[in-house]
Amino acid sequence: MFNKARKQKRRGSPSIALLHFNSSLNIAWSKFCEEMELGTLSDPSQSTFSLIDEDHTFANAIRFTLNQDPRTRFCGYSIPHPSDNRVNIRIQTTGDPAKDVFRDACQDLMVMCQHASNTFDKAVVDFKMSKSVDGMDI
Amino acid sequence: MEGKSYQRFPRVKIREMRHDYLKFELRDTDASVANALRRVMIAEVPTVAIDLVEIEINSSVLNDEFIAHRLGLIPLTSDRAMSMRFSRDCDACDGDGQCVHCSVEFHLRARCHSDQTLDVTSKELLSSDHTVVPVDFSDASGYEASEQRGIIIVKLRRGQELRLRAIARKGIGKDHAKWSPAATVTFMYEPDIRINEEMMETLSLEEKTAWVDSSPTKVFEIDPNTGKVVVVDPEAYTYDDEVIKKAEAVGKPGLVDITAKEDSFIFTVESTGAIKASQLLLNAIEILKQKLDAVRLSEDTVEADDQFGELGAHMRGG
Repeated sequence: MFNKARKQKRRGSPSIALLHFNSSLNIAWSKFCEEMELGTLSDPSQSTFSLIDEDHTFANAIRFTLNQDPRTRFCGYSIPHPSDNRVNIRIQTTGDPAKDVFRDACQDLMVMCQHASNTFDKAVVDFKMSKSVDGMDI
Repeated sequence: MEGKSYQRFPRVKIREMRHDYLKFELRDTDASVANALRRVMIAEVPTVAIDLVEIEINSSVLNDEFIAHRLGLIPLTSDRAMSMRFSRDCDACDGDGQCVHCSVEFHLRARCHSDQTLDVTSKELLSSDHTVVPVDFSDASGYEASEQRGIIIVKLRRGQELRLRAIARKGIGKDHAKWSPAATVTFMYEPDIRINEEMMETLSLEEKTAWVDSSPTKVFEIDPNTGKVVVVDPEAYTYDDEVIKKAEAVGKPGLVDITAKEDSFIFTVESTGAIKASQLLLNAIEILKQKLDAVRLSEDTVEADDQFGELGAHMRGG
């Protein structure tokens, strides 16, 4: 059981593992990003994603990005208990599968981060140039 | 494809930049993204810090674990940290965590021979990798020779000795604060201050002075030439509403209108010296992208309706 999970591990980046359920045990490795999806069997347009080892950092940013998407009817996140390192993100869409909308939101946020990174690099260059023009000591 | 997402892209402008201090403006983005950046900078950007200490000789006044704790808190230059592996993930050393790829070794040997107290400082910590060394806090101008010694670890008397070997590993602030590269990271909403000029004209000079002085921080000033009240430093405003209360107290409500621009933030980043402040921000954005990548590419979302029992009940409002 565990061997099947280990083969998907990638080095040097947050890894993903398949969560196997024993009847009552819930086995999870720390520092892996894991997702569980509920409510999909009946209606794929609404799901709750339960992420392990995530908190407000990720959830609030992704909630904001989901709200920007016109396909989202409702989205929100909750942290069931502060001692458990787990966050539930609820998405209800206007018809598209919630999984796809969630993935697109992650993609959008990634693009925004990349843009912020590039803009920041450019701003550093601009700042250094303007400083060297004003005063010769940096 | 239905309507495009309404997302906007952020703009950045740098105000001030030093080696360990950075002040910049972030516009056209939401508070949740700004907060995510702040939280990642404090808790999830990896650095290198001493994690394992083997003490051979310790006859100082501090006990072993006290010294080990202090050693862990010493900031080490961590430019290598982003490319290093976590020692638990390292396959070269079977997770032992002591090989060259995933750790850095340090030595410290000090013995006091003279009658004068010997200060054992972070400068005496010798590293096996010249890119990972205790941060040097000495001033660039360096005229105060006494301030260039480094962080004092312990003080020794004649005859006392300290010998130890330490291993530094990669970690994140979430695990232990010694790995946090940020001293403080703050952001504030940029204030939008509008003075009602007609109402301001009805005030005498003393009333204007009294009103300007009622603000705990220097936000306004009276222009000596024209006698008008001008905004000299809008960002010194700390949203304390003192000037608004003062305006109401003298019977002139609406004298000034101060709102916070909801999508404009002023970030102040101070690093401990482990990572350059500008590099800290770039690493934070990189870590945020890695998290998003991990979630986006996660193909193993487990359909867990039946097996989730109490979680399902919680989500359905139980």
